[in-house]
Amino acid sequence: MFENILFLLSATLTIVGVVGVVFSSNLMHACTLLLASLFGISGLYAVIGADFLAAAQLVIYAGGVVILMLFAVMLTGGTANNNNKFGIDKIAGMGSIKTYIIAGFTVIVTSLTVLKIIANYIKSYEAHKLPEFESTVEKIGTLLVTDHVISFEISSILLLGALVGAAVIARPKKGQE
Amino acid sequence: MVSLTSYLFISFVLFVAGIAVMIARKNIIAIMLGIELILNSAALNFAAYTRFVNNNLDGHLMSLFIIVIAAAEAAVGLAIVIRFFQIRETIHIDDASQLQA
Repeated sequence: MFENILFLLSATLTIVGVVGVVFSSNLMHACTLLLASLFGISGLYAVIGADFLAAAQLVIYAGGVVILMLFAVMLTGGTANNNNKFGIDKIAGMGSIKTYIIAGFTVIVTSLTVLKIIANYIKSYEAHKLPEFESTVEKIGTLLVTDHVISFEISSILLLGALVGAAVIARPKKGQE
Repeated sequence: MVSLTSYLFISFVLFVAGIAVMIARKNIIAIMLGIELILNSAALNFAAYTRFVNNNLDGHLMSLFIIVIAAAEAAVGLAIVIRFFQIRETIHIDDASQLQA
């Protein structure tokens, strides 16, 4: 019961935030709504027992990425320079709303038919009884230095490269300004 | 209520919204918001399959690496955006038509 309520709240937050990101015309509002949907995704992780993932999602996205995005919006002229609407109707040759509706229905009907046909040949999984929740932090720590140690090291090198690369790219070249 | 199907549906909504943002927006920062949404939908799929299908923690680790890669990608991409704005005074995607300043 409690899980269902938490799931519904998180899913609503996620989907409302995502729709806001797609349709809001102010980029600052879009970034803030992205933050809301990332909070919702963190709640979804918490519902399925991924406690470490939920915490990492909150810390890295809410504390890092969205703040970085907001700084980038402000450094590139603020909202005055960054108003852009959902612009698919402004592209020449993209057709009218009727075209989208017909194309959407065609895609839905075709994909449902194809799925219905190939569903007989795909092995389905049986829903078994779900295990109890337990803390995943210790197991993730063990796995990171045993089975997945190469990915761990590669991601550390990737982060170092991203740090140095971002600093080098954002620095003004000599002779300019 | 809390089932694999509902999680896959939410992940699908995230993915479609990310693709729509990437196609329809003309602002480089908004396009990066779409990329974040797509990466999040993939990470959510990994975690959902870990819970409902195979119950080992490899999916959680993949989600963790996806989050790390998304952070690195956001840092480098926004550095490129800021540098581009210093050179061209705009962040419209159609103005980014040359490799050299």
